[in-house]
Amino acid sequence: MLGRGKRLWSRSKRLKSSYDAVIIGGGLHGLATAYFLATRHGMNHVAVVEKRYIGFGGAGRNTAIVRANQRTQENLPLYKEALELWPVLTQELDFNLMFYNCGNLNLAHSEAALKAMRLQVASAQFHGIDSRLIDPKECKELVPALDVSDRLRYPIYGGMYHPPGGIVRHDAVVWGLASGASQKGVDIIQGVAVTGIGVQGGRITSVETDHGTITTPRVLNAAGAYAAAISCEMLGMRLPISVLTIQAMVTQPLKPILHHVISSGTYHCYANQTLKGEVATGAHMDPWPNYTTQCTAHYIKHQAEALTQLLPCLKGVKFMRAWAGLADMTPDMAPIIDGNDPVRGYYLDCGWGYFGFKSCVVTGKYLADFMASGVCPQILRPFTGRRFEQHRLMGETPALVHYSPDN
Amino acid sequence: MKRLAGLPTLRVNSARAVSIEYDGKRFHGVEGDTVATLLYANGTRIFSRSLKYHRPRGLYSLDGQSSNTYVDVDDIPNVCAENTFVGNGMRVEPQNVLGTPEHDWMAFMDKLSWAMPAGFYYTIFHKPARLWPIAVRHIRKTAGLGSLSPDVELRGRFDQIYPAADVCIIGAGPAGMSAALAAAAQKLRVILLESRPWLGGYFDYRTRNHKPGMPLYLRGRQLADQLEQAPNIRIFKHTAVIGCYSNNLITAFQRGSEADCFAERYVQIRAESVVVATGCIERPLLFENNDRPGIMQIGCAHRLARTWGVLAGEQAVFSIGHDLGIEAAIDLHDLGLSIACVADVREDGCDPALPPQLEARNIPFYPGWVAAKAHGRKVLKKVTLTNLSGVCKQQFDCDTLVASAGLTPVTGPLALAGARLEYDAHTGYFLPTGIPQKMHAAGRMLGLEDPTAIELSGRLAGLRAVADCGMAVGATISGVEEELAKLPGPARGSKFVVAPVEGKKTFVCFDEDVTIQNIDQAMRLGFDVTELIKRFTSAGTGPGQGGIAGHNLPLYVALTHRSPDLHPRPTTVRPPLVPTLLATYAGTNHPMSKRTPVHASQVAAGGVMERLQPWQRARRFCADTTARAEIENVRTNVGMLDASTLGKFRIFGPDALKALQRVYVSDMARVSTGRMYYSAMCNEDGCVIDDGVATQIAENDYYFTTSTGRAGETSEWIRYHTRYDRWDFHIINLTDAYGVINLAGPNARKVLEKVVDGAVSNEAFPFLGFREFMVHGAIPVRAMRLGFVGELSFELHVPSSYMQSLWDILEEAGEEFAIWNFGLEAQNTLRLEKGHVILGSESEQRTTLHDIGLGFFWHRDKLEAQTVGAVALKQTENDTSRLKLVGFKMEEPAARAPRDGSPIVAERIRGYVCTARYSYALKEPVGMALVEGYLAKNATRLTIFEDDCKGELMKAKVVPMPFYDPTGKRMRM
Amino acid sequence: MALTITCPICGKRSGYEFRFGGEDKGPPPQAAGLTPAAWCDYVHRNNCVAGVQKEWWCHRQGCGTWFSIYRDTTKNLEVAGPQSEDV
Repeated sequence: MLGRGKRLWSRSKRLKSSYDAVIIGGGLHGLATAYFLATRHGMNHVAVVEKRYIGFGGAGRNTAIVRANQRTQENLPLYKEALELWPVLTQELDFNLMFYNCGNLNLAHSEAALKAMRLQVASAQFHGIDSRLIDPKECKELVPALDVSDRLRYPIYGGMYHPPGGIVRHDAVVWGLASGASQKGVDIIQGVAVTGIGVQGGRITSVETDHGTITTPRVLNAAGAYAAAISCEMLGMRLPISVLTIQAMVTQPLKPILHHVISSGTYHCYANQTLKGEVATGAHMDPWPNYTTQCTAHYIKHQAEALTQLLPCLKGVKFMRAWAGLADMTPDMAPIIDGNDPVRGYYLDCGWGYFGFKSCVVTGKYLADFMASGVCPQILRPFTGRRFEQHRLMGETPALVHYSPDN
Repeated sequence: MKRLAGLPTLRVNSARAVSIEYDGKRFHGVEGDTVATLLYANGTRIFSRSLKYHRPRGLYSLDGQSSNTYVDVDDIPNVCAENTFVGNGMRVEPQNVLGTPEHDWMAFMDKLSWAMPAGFYYTIFHKPARLWPIAVRHIRKTAGLGSLSPDVELRGRFDQIYPAADVCIIGAGPAGMSAALAAAAQKLRVILLESRPWLGGYFDYRTRNHKPGMPLYLRGRQLADQLEQAPNIRIFKHTAVIGCYSNNLITAFQRGSEADCFAERYVQIRAESVVVATGCIERPLLFENNDRPGIMQIGCAHRLARTWGVLAGEQAVFSIGHDLGIEAAIDLHDLGLSIACVADVREDGCDPALPPQLEARNIPFYPGWVAAKAHGRKVLKKVTLTNLSGVCKQQFDCDTLVASAGLTPVTGPLALAGARLEYDAHTGYFLPTGIPQKMHAAGRMLGLEDPTAIELSGRLAGLRAVADCGMAVGATISGVEEELAKLPGPARGSKFVVAPVEGKKTFVCFDEDVTIQNIDQAMRLGFDVTELIKRFTSAGTGPGQGGIAGHNLPLYVALTHRSPDLHPRPTTVRPPLVPTLLATYAGTNHPMSKRTPVHASQVAAGGVMERLQPWQRARRFCADTTARAEIENVRTNVGMLDASTLGKFRIFGPDALKALQRVYVSDMARVSTGRMYYSAMCNEDGCVIDDGVATQIAENDYYFTTSTGRAGETSEWIRYHTRYDRWDFHIINLTDAYGVINLAGPNARKVLEKVVDGAVSNEAFPFLGFREFMVHGAIPVRAMRLGFVGELSFELHVPSSYMQSLWDILEEAGEEFAIWNFGLEAQNTLRLEKGHVILGSESEQRTTLHDIGLGFFWHRDKLEAQTVGAVALKQTENDTSRLKLVGFKMEEPAARAPRDGSPIVAERIRGYVCTARYSYALKEPVGMALVEGYLAKNATRLTIFEDDCKGELMKAKVVPMPFYDPTGKRMRM
Repeated sequence: MALTITCPICGKRSGYEFRFGGEDKGPPPQAAGLTPAAWCDYVHRNNCVAGVQKEWWCHRQGCGTWFSIYRDTTKNLEVAGPQSEDV
């Protein structure tokens, strides 16, 4: 009978004394990796250790936009595969992840921005990803509420339209993966904090928690915003990361008015209408490190200013809820994925900034390959943390980032 | 409906009639009516249909705690009828109905609720996969509340103010008013914020005595009068607090009245100390069909009569858990409402003075009884009461059920500011703990019920705020504390949560149609944290944001959860505390940009202006987007460019040179007087961030330029990279102080020599020279011979106030040559022909000085200068695998130029076109591209993959730069 | 959250007038013989302290001074430095 389902995952807080792998962080990347370890590699003696509850961090705080129109060829294939995985996983997990394939429209407000977009569009096309440049009139046809006049502070010069993108219900991904992993025997342990990582002879030996010690040869640090602090405190490995608070908010629900995800780098603003009818919007970060998830007065005002310029009809709509999450930013806006370097058995998946949602499932899939075989799959190799000392920034962002003192 | 007249508590003006149009019909009311009270007085009982089940919903609270009374007003959706004053001629429409609120074609949804358990959408619609895209369309149409047209324009002015205060008080009930008076008595600047349109809080509508001969409402108005007369209290009425942040930053918005110059106003306050005296709201009672129209909270029924003169119905039943309910029953009975009975969920503990008063009015009183079920298909017809064990039942006919489980404090501002909410077993409240410094809670929210104690607690909080402002009031505080200790403390509250019912249609959250059955379902699936249950069931995530659901959800979870360590935890409070219009947040939202001193004449000359960082600049002066005429005019004649946006700096002092050596890659010791010196700045990665020219003006005194984009950052950049050195230098940003004209073209000298007082011949003023002239004996000009566009050119820096004059003088002097403006597009092609880079155009974040071929500027032998980026430049200088900047031409000269940004491919992406244009001088396209090192050799073929090229690659070849005038003789002539 | 920062010259002001300048890592290491790893460690790697850290700020919209303060990154609040530094 409907509504009389079984538990999606077990409640146990009891840790076994040893696991084949321990994953720190019950967020999307950790759960996805556990799921793929169990389903694709038969490694189901795995614990996902979460300090709060699953989906507490970035997994439950992002605005769930998915797309595959990144800038560099290191990123494009990864995100392309990620997009293709949502419908597949929905069936595989038998849990509706609610991939709403509405397409993304990114707005350009200058000639320079159009040029930057052309690189992105052509690179995507080169990789077989549907993406195209459109003019303001076409933008208006896609989004009738858009103001394409020159009244705007930054008038619209055109846009990058990316039909395969859209939004996914983020909570569903958390619960679907947790349920799928749990069914395959993965222990999902909530309310337990990792307090230390044991290393002997350059190899991972154990994980200390506030509920006891676990012996394990493999640890994945997928603690999201706290990954860098954990790496530094527990292993003395400092990372090129800054953790910033990122905010988002929703309006009261409306009947359908926005049929695509729209975004504008110049206005620091993106917006999409969820299936519930709320207009979800965000993008801003106060450009200094923080671990607080409180919102700011400054930002909600900024967001209203930006949004009512782009979509004037939204003046008559009300914001009803704002929230904040943490984004672990690297200097080149690309993640850090490493393993067995310099500690054997220590795997690192962090620095995703605000791209962690779109990439979670595909990264989990390849990380599982990495952890099961010990060999880094080709597709993940460019993301090594060594690139910063080799002066090989990824180029995912063309311009300098503003949260570091480095500009 | 006849309205009660002559009540001393009324807040309406019966003498002035107003009317609105609702659902196509005209309804009349009086001045002071809200949309909700006007419609209710006219007999409207069903205001809307609920989101999921399309159940009829009516007036429940009067402060907008649910979306029950959301309506569409003048094409704006989701307007809360309860706190929107009626304006004459308003056009009001019901929402979320197909038909009318009474006859909604979607009402069958209520029968399908069995098919919609908690989270049902996660488990259906995806099998088979092709069902989902169809389901999406349907879900979207059904979801959402009000509808909005893409063309709708919200009328009215929206603005913002940013007042500062010593003490800011949130809530103008008895505690808040007392706090304000206490702080104002010390001559402090006080701001008082009240969400209702008048002061008084829960005193305002009550006739019970405060002291003999002094009813509460009168006491409230007395305090309000005192406040209005205090010159140092700034009162904001009808002002909802929406945010509360650290360091006492409070945000709110005020609704304007007809007399105000604004529709709504955003108010952001920074206060030294804050008092939160927001009182309580009522905790909803959970029972079957607890959402039926006709069921309302105590305050709703009581204020409807006392404030607006409207009786809620004819026959009422009360099922309450607080003395306020009994008091309301007595008062409403006396005003003419027939009351079938009063059930009190508390078995004991009510004020002993109250039951005899019920008895005197022949109103049956049932302690330990509660409403279990409401009957009636659309509106309330009767109610079943039961004792707490559920064994005894009794039915009563009624059209009104006043229902409420008790009170719940309004702690939102404190929670937002960082206080934790802890369950308190005595009051049954989530009470704030760990309140941040310089923030104080007062009044009813602490559980106080005695009116004198409430006022005194407000006074105490006010005095503590005074102490925060540095005033010595310690003795007074102790006195008040002692006095308060003698008065009754926090009262025991009702812990009651849910009536003994099955719970199929017992709503925890009205907005999202979430029942206790849904909560049970979620818990069975393993959601055991309140926050997760909220997400899974969406309870409390609707437009009312937990106003109704907020208190009951965690209590219900704690009650039904068998885990021994479970402690009721409220869900996180998130801003805004009250849904707020984007228009209100956005305020006036003035467009801001900077204009150069000759902006007006650029526009008058036909300049097509565009935004470049903060500036407005002219892209071109002709219709032709390639700006051919402007380009050819510079190449063959003379043109003028307004380059005022360039960054311009003076740096001076004994250590000025050291500072320049730190940030510039070349040897700045070679910078001398009378000459310009080109150099670049890198960041720590060795990536180029800026380039410009420098000259020495006097000893230890330099003048230099930066790109437009770096003008704002350069001072702090230099200071940052010398922050450990304690060097003695000063840097002044002269960007806005000087305008810049680039006078360029073979005839430039002929124009300039007509107006300056010095020699400008190639011998007297050679290439890269720097001279200071007077123009017409009055205008001081700093002139430099530079060659960005590749022709003879003079960059003239002139004090901004003289900029327009100099422009006009040059224009006049150049008239005989037909001198003409050129804009950024022309400049872009001109400099491209010369192979000159624009940072950001020919470079990206990861591009080093070596990569763009300017590595030779790096002076490797100044180790002691610790030049920023030098380490990285050294470590990358022999790296051949990086993207390098090259010049290219098309293999077929007749081909068009590739579009900027097009990737260069060879099996994979190997680089991209930075800038490419048709060169009118060379009669073929030229371009610059960043490509992988192995493609950078001369004559290498580049294959270009344009967007939408359908596999047709363009072919180009690497050629040396510059393309035009390779020896540079034209800029040296 | 509403950060305020105390500028040594201008006093306590809204945090938005300031620009963040990184964790205080001390003066840059001498360039001679610096390995890529050591260089990267100074330039890019951070301690990412979830708690109180010393960091640089510039009063961008004020006097332009660079100075360091202590701030609690879990609360986004300026805090007093360790006692020893007060003298």
